[in-house]
Amino acid sequence: MFFALTEDQQAFAATVREFVADRFDLDAVRAVVEDPDGDGHPMTLWKGLADQGALAVLVPEEHDGLGLGLLDAQVVARELGAAVAPGPWTTTVLAAEALRLAGSPAQQAAWLPALAAGETVGTVALRGEAGSWDGRSGRGITVDASGERLSGTASPVDYPAVAGLFVVAATDADGAPGLYLVEAGAEGLSVRDQRTYDGTARVGAVELADTPGELLTGGTLSGGEAVGAVTARGAVLTAADLVGVAREALTRTVDYDRDRKQFGAPVGSFQAIKHTMADLHVGVTMAEHAVLFAAHALDTDDPGADIAVAVAKAKASDAAWAATGAMIQFFGGIGFTWEHEAHFFYKRARRRAPLFGSADEHRERLAALTID
Amino acid sequence: MDLTYTAEEEQFRAELRDWLAGSIPPEWAEPGFWRSLDDDESFRLRREWEAAKTAAGFSGIQWPTEYGGRGGTPGMKAIYDEETVRAHAPQTVNVLGLTFLAPTVMAIGTPEQKSEIIGPMLRNEVIWCQGFSEPGAGSDLAAVSTRGVRDGDDFVVNGQKIWTTNAMHGDKIFTLVRTEPGSERHKGLSMMLIDMHQPGVEARPLKQMSGASEFGEVFFTDARVPVKDCLGEIGQGWRTAMLLLSFERGASGVGQYTEFRRQYDEIVEQMRRFGRSDDPVARQKMANCLVELECLRYHAMHILTQVEQGRDLGAESSMTKLQWSETFQDLWEAFDDVLGPEASLERPRPDVDLTPYQAQAMWSRSVTIWGGSSQVQRNIVAERVLGLPR
Repeated sequence: MFFALTEDQQAFAATVREFVADRFDLDAVRAVVEDPDGDGHPMTLWKGLADQGALAVLVPEEHDGLGLGLLDAQVVARELGAAVAPGPWTTTVLAAEALRLAGSPAQQAAWLPALAAGETVGTVALRGEAGSWDGRSGRGITVDASGERLSGTASPVDYPAVAGLFVVAATDADGAPGLYLVEAGAEGLSVRDQRTYDGTARVGAVELADTPGELLTGGTLSGGEAVGAVTARGAVLTAADLVGVAREALTRTVDYDRDRKQFGAPVGSFQAIKHTMADLHVGVTMAEHAVLFAAHALDTDDPGADIAVAVAKAKASDAAWAATGAMIQFFGGIGFTWEHEAHFFYKRARRRAPLFGSADEHRERLAALTID
Repeated sequence: MDLTYTAEEEQFRAELRDWLAGSIPPEWAEPGFWRSLDDDESFRLRREWEAAKTAAGFSGIQWPTEYGGRGGTPGMKAIYDEETVRAHAPQTVNVLGLTFLAPTVMAIGTPEQKSEIIGPMLRNEVIWCQGFSEPGAGSDLAAVSTRGVRDGDDFVVNGQKIWTTNAMHGDKIFTLVRTEPGSERHKGLSMMLIDMHQPGVEARPLKQMSGASEFGEVFFTDARVPVKDCLGEIGQGWRTAMLLLSFERGASGVGQYTEFRRQYDEIVEQMRRFGRSDDPVARQKMANCLVELECLRYHAMHILTQVEQGRDLGAESSMTKLQWSETFQDLWEAFDDVLGPEASLERPRPDVDLTPYQAQAMWSRSVTIWGGSSQVQRNIVAERVLGLPR
């Protein structure tokens, strides 16, 4: 029994953590937050991540990647969450996963090396506006009878403005779902900036009008299975990001409340605060366990992976929202100011909690798996 | 990550599963079986079964062979916990002795104590109770007022213990006694091993809110305890108590998960029966219980890893206690939430007996109190894990 990260994985985490702390601290995050017209994609961070191999983690070695698993990838996601780091890391990794799982050898060779090196930014457009993540309602994008032209709207999509490659979930003329590649600049493709209160990301709607797209086909997975697999990986990597956000928010709050004095005593000595912090610590720890297990379950094709992914995303979403909300509360008035960093954490948690399925949606998934 | 057990451990699982299949009658798996028996009868049956288990080599899984144990690995203990729950094996009758006293005796007992205590306990010839709590010393254990006065080679003990598991079936009790007159708090205490079959010791059952009597009270009136029956040094009882309680970290998340997950499925079965399985609010409640249950399972694997690596868990066991006890209680509150008014009826339909479920629901109120209340556990997590000031 070894339920833990290996020394290599821990060292990888430390490398990413040290790099981000050294080269992209909270002042750098603030600069991105306070420049909403900017692309939110700082090159110093991106190139550094590429140098660390953080974009190549899941890409097979034959396509210039590291050929590692989601367990390794979630290490990066957690560190980026803890640093509230901006940039299209998650979506680029997911686009590469779509290619790895569903693409033909030619499609993989065409895109994976560039994605692994950070030369191309990838993003995924899996959900129709106001639709569900599992595609049961409102897929948003349809394919015409030729099978090569896509129309419709996907939203929200992370970092569409800087993406060179879009992996789009669409429904074909027979009603079958599938993943399609759409290149930036393709005919009929437009991106509408949507703006979000989470200044550590850039989000938009992707609108397609008779836009050329290429079905991902010839890989291990196809159709709805491929869409489901990419969505599940998105859920786990988002859960990992949220767990990183939650842990960092809790640590900063504990550090502050150890020293901050009111009524002649450190506020952290009051049980009203202690007990909440203890519950948050248990909750965040459980979420960390759940993310590890879900990543491992997907890496090993565990038959219980469906349950594991839903548990991880539900738990991490709730834990992150709770921990970052408590951060504002337990810093008191200063935590509610623009100058303080608490809102970076809170807004990132709050925006990401519903991505790839909210806690409620994943609980409903669990009900479907164990009650129906 | 490697979530598998070794080949040797899996071999152990196969042997244990085999033995359990042949030794547990099918009716033991029925939800109301143990409650249908008279308390003495239930205890006798469990005691006999457990003696047979010991004879078959399936007790003291992780204990050294010199003490009659199997000399197994932490993984085997986890497998044992999982398989006994799966097979509907009854709970051990000597739980406090096996969990707490035995490892403490192995660590600091005299040679005589080791030979006199451990073997008979493992064979269930002697049932051990734990005497820590008192009417004035609950969460505040150091407020012990039961006192022992030296009289020749004996201590003469007077006082009262409460919430004593198996008080009515106990043969001996390990108990904290204040042996230095005028001492306060953690000082001047001794850990005594007291024979309950003597005129100065009286046990009385406590009827719980569930109607059952798992706990009792133990009264000492000039009870006599030979000085040699102190465990650890005289006057150092607090140290012995802390060592003793540290063995709770073996607490089996794997076994608990297996048990609670089955209870989840049983509640789901009742949801379907009463047409509540499509209710979106009920589904959310149950699914949230499942989230916490699965987290308990992952946490158990994490803890097992720590144990196998020889790490000291320390205050982390408080997190384990919070996670399992709060989750268990929430699960049985969800039972009422999802069934509605039917949940409170013993026989909502002629063919449906809900009393075993209601017994669990009532029992679930106790688990966040005993063994360190949730409030005490939160203080421990906040102070010793997070480092918040006292």
